[in-house]
Amino acid sequence: MANPEKKYSELKNFLKTPTPTLIGIYILMIIIFTIADRNFLTIQNFRGIFNNFAVFGVMAAGVGIVMIAGGFDLSIGSIAGFVGMFSSVLMMERFSVPTPLVFVIAIAIGCIFGLINGLIITKIGINPIITTLGTLSIIRGATYFWANTSPRIYNVFIQDLGRKFLFNIVPYTTIYIAVFFIILSLILKFTRFGRDLYTIGGNETLARLAGIKVDRIKIITYVISGFFCAIAGLILISQLGSGRPEYGVGAELEVLTIVVLGGVAVGGGKGDYLGIFIALVIIQTISNGMVMMDIPIFLRQVVKGALLVLVISIDALRNRRSLQLY
Amino acid sequence: MPEIKAPSQEQRKKIKLGNTVILFIILVVLFALFSYVGRPFFLSVLNLVPMLNNLSFIGIVAAVLTMVMITGEIDFSIGGNIGLTAVLVAFLLDKGLPGGVVVILALCAGALMGAFNGFIVTMIGVNSMIATIGTMFVWRGIGYTLSNGESMLAMNPVIDYIGRGFLFKVIPFPIVIFIVIFAITYVVMNLSKWGRRIYAVGTNPMASYLSGINVKKIKFINFLFSGITASLGGLILTSLSAVGMPQHGQGLELVVISSIVLGGTALSGGRGEILGTLAGTLILGILYNFLTIMNVYYYYVQIVQGAILVLVVSTYEIRQSRAVKRA
Repeated sequence: MANPEKKYSELKNFLKTPTPTLIGIYILMIIIFTIADRNFLTIQNFRGIFNNFAVFGVMAAGVGIVMIAGGFDLSIGSIAGFVGMFSSVLMMERFSVPTPLVFVIAIAIGCIFGLINGLIITKIGINPIITTLGTLSIIRGATYFWANTSPRIYNVFIQDLGRKFLFNIVPYTTIYIAVFFIILSLILKFTRFGRDLYTIGGNETLARLAGIKVDRIKIITYVISGFFCAIAGLILISQLGSGRPEYGVGAELEVLTIVVLGGVAVGGGKGDYLGIFIALVIIQTISNGMVMMDIPIFLRQVVKGALLVLVISIDALRNRRSLQLY
Repeated sequence: MPEIKAPSQEQRKKIKLGNTVILFIILVVLFALFSYVGRPFFLSVLNLVPMLNNLSFIGIVAAVLTMVMITGEIDFSIGGNIGLTAVLVAFLLDKGLPGGVVVILALCAGALMGAFNGFIVTMIGVNSMIATIGTMFVWRGIGYTLSNGESMLAMNPVIDYIGRGFLFKVIPFPIVIFIVIFAITYVVMNLSKWGRRIYAVGTNPMASYLSGINVKKIKFINFLFSGITASLGGLILTSLSAVGMPQHGQGLELVVISSIVLGGTALSGGRGEILGTLAGTLILGILYNFLTIMNVYYYYVQIVQGAILVLVVSTYEIRQSRAVKRA
């Protein structure tokens, strides 16, 4: 039985997230872009928009879960770069490792990096920002250090992974993202693990006292993040057609922006995947629209930063405690 | 880390002092080692002076950012601020303004940027990390737009003096600024009421508020000064390179934050030392300089940078939890 009061409170909760602000901005942007360029509101264009956010979307899937549990992962771009480079080398003619094995190795590498992050953060107790900042530069440096080639991808399966469209309209990558987000949403909503994540993000000491195995769950979130980074790395080399050590540089800021705009609280305890998905679409649409409007590339950076500050400020103002003393 | 009992004031002081002393010992040992391995070039004036010049703008930004971080906030926008300041200086000089006026205007711009960060963080209540990541994009983007992505020549007697002048014809001027800023921040943090309040705010904002400290004002002013010193750093960098490039200071935030954290400042606030930051800046500085002299690939340097960060903070955490256990 649907409880009207519960429905109402759910609606109220939704209105409290930054998502409504974002949707408002989105509609405004679409109107402006459509007036400015009539090629904007076409299936052709939106196909591109949806295929372009694949890498960031898959990364956001992992970062979302980490941040809901109060953690942080800045090493995502480096992990994706390393995995992409490594698997493209594995697929070179010299090694020609079979495709399933490449997948297994790629995902294993991602998970191991995630595990390392998680172990350092929980067992030694270093701040996650510092830890992942460190692993960011270690992994990136390691990628540059051993990879002095940029092998092209001839493997058909990997090529199709990030480039094919279902019925010529829906990109495969969007389907992956939808599946990942739905599974993660279900986990967050209906499993004990998911509820524990919110508890840990909300108040870690309390979670510990309540008998939740905080360390184990946190490690699992970083492993999940590593797993998604590995997949993002594979999509990256699929879409770009080669492996290069600099792939994924700066992804952490983009993904962080998306996840925060999607309503995940920095510090944890709040957030859901619907918001992240909407933020993903909006950021990509705005980037695309600005390209079509011929806005100079430098000004686009300003707009992106200003948007982040604006949305978060509006969000902070609306959810402000009545007594903000410090 | 289920630490129920917090370390007492005395223990904390001991840990803090211990950390800074250890850092300076590491610094001396590294310096001696590098002087020996990197002989004869490392220990020459030709190497040390440019190295310190390059460190000076990192150091002054780090010193004030330490104060921001002790209050429990963070400022990622310093790199963008430096980029915008550099472009602004070149732009204003190009318009024919005298050097002195340009310096003042640049510092005012820095103050404005800092005040904007402070306003968003304290008055609106946005998480400082997110706010300053946003403003980082904005500052640098404005710098790129203003210069159209090109680097502009910035030559002027006053500007030249800031980065390449010598005080009394001996001491390079950036090093003078470096020492002065560290001296001021040291006095403020260790000997003044204001500094004690900063520590109090970082340790427990609620308790500070209840004891009558204006928490918002302290945080706001810290952000303001962070903006001003970042602009000062931008001025030094512009002068050293004689061009205003929007790329100036790209990625600087990571170097600066690494130096600060290496110096023992906690991201959660309430813990940190100006002298520690000084040691951290110098250690990272001589390390990079040494690796460059030894012809080490930049990629190795990157690995070393990350490894040091994680390693050092691990030792801090382990020492801290041991000290708590012993108590």
